[in-house]
Amino acid sequence: MIKQSIHAATRREQKVVTRDRLVNAAMALFARKGIVNTKTADIARSIRMSHGVVFLHFPKRDDLVIAVIDEFGRRLAAEFRQAFEHDLGLRAVLQAHLRVLEELEPFYARLVTEAPMLPPKVRSTLMMLHAAVSYELFAALERERKAGRARKIPRPLLFNTWIGLVHHYLVNRDVFATGDSVIAEQGETLVNHFMTLVKP
Amino acid sequence: MAEKCPACGSCGMPMEKPEDFARGDVSRPYCRYCTDARGELLSYEQVLETNARFYVESQGVTPAAASAMARAMLADMPAWRGRH
Repeated sequence: MIKQSIHAATRREQKVVTRDRLVNAAMALFARKGIVNTKTADIARSIRMSHGVVFLHFPKRDDLVIAVIDEFGRRLAAEFRQAFEHDLGLRAVLQAHLRVLEELEPFYARLVTEAPMLPPKVRSTLMMLHAAVSYELFAALERERKAGRARKIPRPLLFNTWIGLVHHYLVNRDVFATGDSVIAEQGETLVNHFMTLVKP
Repeated sequence: MAEKCPACGSCGMPMEKPEDFARGDVSRPYCRYCTDARGELLSYEQVLETNARFYVESQGVTPAAASAMARAMLADMPAWRGRH
């Protein structure tokens, strides 16, 4: 009995490991070749797995794309949580957002570049993540406003101004950065600029 | 990989803290936004409306676009799968 449950637990762990490998491989290939252009067979081949394994974990291709976006969402939530433990300010929220974008920059840049071409569910998932960031930004702005350090800005415009700025640099990262990461090179400038915009 | 937490079986929201779950009960499959005061799952229309509003309030998208996105999000969720 005990032997059987250990065996089942090991199988479950193995399943999680395989799933994580697929998500990581997908993220790497999406970053390199683009999301629309990457086939599930390419992902399986890149980690020497059979094509069937991909479908065992992700019956539809979209499920795999969403799993990669969900991974991004999880890292974002963890980063926000950590930022809040130390500082509830707007600057800290912006910096936390950029830290995750920098970590996943090649994939995220592809994601926002291809967003209008992606299937509805994938795009909706991305927009739902944006919604979560929007709420964190607005809550932080309101705290700054109550302390007299920011002015009133409607929630959608606050978020769209920030994300519009960041996405412009990401989509055109080849002309805004000399190295691999536009967020590493320009992030601080963007945060400083945004903090100036929200001043009373 | 970051540590995974359960997601609401109705809207997919990650449930990290007990207060994210229906009635603060971590054994429940749905989040507090998709359930009523007794912890019962709301109707599909109510959940759709809540999710669509979330898109509108956060990003200012049109109500029609928000509704379409919410429908796409809910389509494969365990609570609503096979509804159409």
